Formats: sequence, C-alpha cells, structure tokens
Amino acid sequence: MENLTIEETKYTPKITLDTKGIISLVGKSYPENTFEFYTPMMKWIEDYFENSPAKKTVINMEIIYFNSSSSKLFFDFFDMIEENADNNDIDINWIYDEENESAEEAGEDFIEDFEELNIKLVTK
Amino acid sequence: MLESHENKLISEIEDLQKDFVKITDKFVKEITRQDKIMSRSDKRQQKEYDELMALKIEIEETQKEIIFTMGAVGESRSKETGNHVKRVAEYSYILAKDYGLDLAECEMLKQASPMHDIGKIAIPDSILNKPARFTPEEFEVMKKHAQLGYDMLKHSQRPLLKTASIVAYEHHEKWDGTGYPNGLSRDEIHIYGRITALADVFDALGSDRVYKEAWDDEKIFKLFRDERGKHFDPKLIDIFFENLDEFLMIRDRLKDI
Repeated sequence: MENLTIEETKYTPKITLDTKGIISLVGKSYPENTFEFYTPMMKWIEDYFENSPAKKTVINMEIIYFNSSSSKLFFDFFDMIEENADNNDIDINWIYDEENESAEEAGEDFIEDFEELNIKLVTK
Repeated sequence: MLESHENKLISEIEDLQKDFVKITDKFVKEITRQDKIMSRSDKRQQKEYDELMALKIEIEETQKEIIFTMGAVGESRSKETGNHVKRVAEYSYILAKDYGLDLAECEMLKQASPMHDIGKIAIPDSILNKPARFTPEEFEVMKKHAQLGYDMLKHSQRPLLKTASIVAYEHHEKWDGTGYPNGLSRDEIHIYGRITALADVFDALGSDRVYKEAWDDEKIFKLFRDERGKHFDPKLIDIFFENLDEFLMIRDRLKDI
C-alpha cells in the first residue's frame, strides 16, 4: 500500500496519509463538492484498516475553518474510525488555536458523539 | 402445532421490532447529528458575517482617516484655511443632495471634498501664503495645485480616494469652459467638480484671506447671479439660493475664530 498526499489549496486542507500509521489533515475545508473531494482519503483509510494497519495509528486534525458538509463528512470519517477502534490502537488529536472557538466546539461535539474514540483536544 | 405457529410469528415480529429499533435509532442519531451540524454551522456563519462587517467598517474608517489626515496635512501648510474645508464639506453635501445624488454618494463627496486643495502641499510657501495678489507667473504656479492634487490621488482604486481625486482635479473648472486645468465645460466637468467649485468659491469669498477681506453677502449673491451659467452650473446656483438659510447657518456654526 502506498502513501497518499493531497496538497493544500485555497479551499481544501493538506492531507497526509502514511502507511506508518499517520493520518493528518491541516488547513481549511471549503471544497465545492465535499464528498467527492474526500473520497480518495476515505478509500485509502478503508484499505489501510482492512489490509495493513500499523501497530498504532495517530490521527492529527487541524482544521481552521470548515463548511457544514465538511463537518458532516468528519462525522462519517469518525464513524469509519470507530468501526476499527476495537481492533486497533488509535489516537486522535483535534488541534486548534485557542482563539478559534468554532474549532474547539467542533472538537467537543466529536468527543461527545464518539465516546469509544480517544479524541484529545490540543491547543496550539 | 397451532402454538408453535404462533410462536414463530411472534419471533418474526420480535425480530422485525429489533430491526426497526435499530433503524430508528440510526435515524434519530443521524437527525440529531444533522441538527447539530446545522446549528453549529449557523452559529459559525453568523460569526463570520460579524467579522466581515467589522472588516468592512474597518476599511471604511481607514479610508476616512486617510482622507482626514491628508486634509489636515494640506491645512497645516496654509495658515488661512481654518474651518474652510469643513464648511466646503457641508456645503457640498447640501448641493449634492438637492442635485439628486443618492445619500451614500453625498456622504462620500462630503468626506472627499476637504481634499480639494491637497495639491497645495506642493506649492511653495512664498506663493501659497503671499499677502498680496499673485503675479501672472505666480498664478500659473498656483494653478498647478489642481493637477498636482489629482496626480497624488489618481492611483487609488478606492471609491473615496477616487472621489477626492476628481474633486482635486476639477474644482477650478468653469461651466463655460474658461476654468483650469483642462478647460472643460458643462457636464464634461464631473458633478463632484461642479459642486465643489461652487462650495469653495462661496466660502473663499466670504472669508478673510491674507490678500483680501471677506466680501459682504450682497456682493457674493450678485456675483453668483452673474456667474450663473458662466462660472457655475445654473442648476447648482438655483439650489444654492433655494437653500440659502442652511448655507448661512453652516457658515455661522463653523466660522473661523
């Protein structure tokens, strides 16, 4: 399985998917077609857990601004992670700037909805 | 036999119930999630809107401050101006409003008109503050302030500064084409230029200057009537006389001390 990197654009985050067990999203998320944009990432993660998950997986999410369909997609994303949480060691860091109240609240929402996941709020 | 048939039906229904509960649970979860996403999103959008509006105000205020500061720079070069630019601003507003410009434009002209003489900062002190009539050569130098002011402001794409550049450029043009710097006539002269021309002259004539004393009102009114359709846009002269009381009140309220 190969690593996958999607470079940052004006409206989309940088996505780094590393078979060594690193999944990272950094930037803004205002894609024109959110679900289409994230399809390669979702597919990669599905394959990763199915075929060759690392001993430990670390997910770093640092999303500064995002639209509502991105927030829906992040719920789907965490659903997928949760399905694999029983058989894998997964740490999730939701990283945000202290002054970014929206990002903090989104992180709290995810923690509330995904009790089985180990989501940590990390301020920069 | 009958009993077991019943039992089977019950167990099937119970299975259905379980499935139904599972599915409805999933629906409830999805709907709850969707609601949360929507309300968070609304809240974020409102915040972003607030931020945008704050930025818009910040930009507008910055433009006003630039204009005001440049006006103050201009005034500091020349001792006699005093409240001149403030009065010209107020007069311009009345003329613009009754001419039929929309209120946002009137407000912009009011803020930009204090810049009409900004080009004078490039005129030597010896000419600018000369306590006597200019020689023809000195007058030629003095006249350059219109072009100079325009050159200072013309590069800006900001509406307020663009308005200021028009005012600086055209406030010495005359209705009949005998003004400067370009000898434009009638509506070749931008309405901002025509308005500021009248406001500027009315104020200049009614004020003491180093080279002259203030004219009395009757003399000013006579000149305005004579220059209707010559120096000044006739429609603006009519508006001036229709609103004379208001002009005199402004002059009194903002008089030089």
